Amino acid sequence: MVSTIQNTDVKQKDADHAVVVAITSHAAFESGADDGDEVYREGVAFPLLQALQKVNERLLEENPAESLLFDVILITTDSQQQQQSSRVISSTRHYGLEVSRFCFSSEEDFIESLQKNNVKLFLTTDTNEVTQASQTGVVSVLLDQQTAVCPSEQLRVMFCGDAVIRPDTGPMPLTRQAAQSFSTQLGEMRQKFGMFDSPLSFILVTSHGGRESCRGALQMLRSRGVSVDEAYCLAGAPRGPMLSLVQPHFLLRDGYSSLEE
Amino acid sequence: MVKMSLDPVQVMSGQVKELKVATSSNGDSRGSWEEKEEFDQDHLASPPSQNQHITTALPSLVHMEYTSKVTGRRARKVEGGVFFPKPENAVTVAVSSRVLFRTEREQKALETVNARLRELYPQSEELFDIVLVTYNHAHVGIRLINTINHHNLFIERFCMTGGSSPIGYLKAWHTNLYLSADSEKVREALAEGIAAATMFMPEKLTEVSESQLRVAFDGDAVLFSDESERIFKAHGLDKFFEHEKDNEDTLLDHGPLKGFLEALGKLQKKFYAKGQRLDCPIRTYLVTARSAASSGIRALKTLRAWGLEIDEALFLAGAPKGPMLEKIRPHIYFDDQMFHVEGAAEMGTIAAHVPYGIAQKHNPKQKTSVAK
Repeated sequence: MVSTIQNTDVKQKDADHAVVVAITSHAAFESGADDGDEVYREGVAFPLLQALQKVNERLLEENPAESLLFDVILITTDSQQQQQSSRVISSTRHYGLEVSRFCFSSEEDFIESLQKNNVKLFLTTDTNEVTQASQTGVVSVLLDQQTAVCPSEQLRVMFCGDAVIRPDTGPMPLTRQAAQSFSTQLGEMRQKFGMFDSPLSFILVTSHGGRESCRGALQMLRSRGVSVDEAYCLAGAPRGPMLSLVQPHFLLRDGYSSLEE
Repeated sequence: MVKMSLDPVQVMSGQVKELKVATSSNGDSRGSWEEKEEFDQDHLASPPSQNQHITTALPSLVHMEYTSKVTGRRARKVEGGVFFPKPENAVTVAVSSRVLFRTEREQKALETVNARLRELYPQSEELFDIVLVTYNHAHVGIRLINTINHHNLFIERFCMTGGSSPIGYLKAWHTNLYLSADSEKVREALAEGIAAATMFMPEKLTEVSESQLRVAFDGDAVLFSDESERIFKAHGLDKFFEHEKDNEDTLLDHGPLKGFLEALGKLQKKFYAKGQRLDCPIRTYLVTARSAASSGIRALKTLRAWGLEIDEALFLAGAPKGPMLEKIRPHIYFDDQMFHVEGAAEMGTIAAHVPYGIAQKHNPKQKTSVAK
């Protein structure tokens, strides 16, 4: 059973052109067991939400009639939060989050919400949900504590430049196609800003290969309309220290089967 | 092994002149690069050089084999990619893009050392590793890599930070030495405890060895702290000598490049351990205004106490450094005083300014970095 409620505080986006991003309320808000207050605490996805908002703000600054915007919807699958749907809504309003719709569904049919809303990117803290959504071809990202410490003024999307040769296992997985078209849309958004001071930044990290791997990845991304802002070619150096400096909000697995992080 | 250089010109007046603070021009004086932080424009459009790599259409290869036509050298390969040392094991030299494209000979010398180390210690990760750390925006990434290919440079690791400060990445790479043409970035690195120096290229380069890497250091405020220079500044030459004599048995405090000398020494010892002392492809020099018979003693004692060997110590007692450097032909010379850096560059030596210590306070403010 899926129910959708519009957020009247926020102007609805153009469904034909907006890029729908779904975030679970579990990622957006921390719900402690003993929450007596009306309003939930900020969750790990908060800086990410703010960054998405920032991109929209700046897009509209460039062009007030812009329709290629992020359309953020909040999906609540958590049964506890479901019972407190009004709290989800009031918390969203309290923080002034630019969420256009609320979807309440069970774990079993949240996929339906994704499909009905034409979701291009699904963000959650739940591994099962990531797996389920990926299987239906929706680009899904697992958020964690790392996301919580990312900047809120700029959306930082990371691409992994490593590739592994695999024998052709048939048709391209659905998510790969979806990831590619999603990144192309991001690339389009990025074009609306200058080289520096952009609210959207693309970062390429090549972990294992040397400069040729990196060049290949840069070319591949460019051919897809993604112009990379920062590039790190590690050639085997440990990723951890680099990533804590780079601070990407999430990694977009875009056409590469990336090696284990 | 220490060779005392006895310069016939050891008169008081000469000493006074040389120990004075350099009142020379700012950091961007003649000899430094005028071009903005961008690599060689001439080669931007060039296609990848044919002899360098086996490239395929994407996705790229698991195995990569590099054979450089120039040296016929192969990089070792392991499954999953090319073999590279872990940053904490290697002697990591981080360079900016301007430095990268103007130090081909120096990089060749590092590679020569590496080749010899690999012969003796095939499994060891204690090698030189050059990393490009630049705030270039990655939109020039492809051109940058093409240019690296074109110059046949052996560099596989880089950070293009797209405008944000590269300093954090220097730490992440366990950088042993950072070289940039941008003195602001160099100061930032020094402030973070990373050995760093601002590169100055001579208009005409003297020839340097291809088979032996030679690194020369000034003493005070480079290998050692600037404490003695402070005494000289505040109280003059007599007090300086007095102070040095009184404190002959007290170690000098360390300077910003001590760690780098240490790293070089560690590699040298690996050659000595295999009986290659005479034939060692790394040679270090101390080129100091101190005097052999007096103030130099403290310097030597300090080095000895630190367990650091320097191959040649040249005590100039205040005489100009240029002619000595011309004799030594180091690949690079580090000094904290612009006067000496410029002097070295005039004689065709690549000199690097270490903007540390009391000598900097008396220089006019350095120009801020050129526009990107």
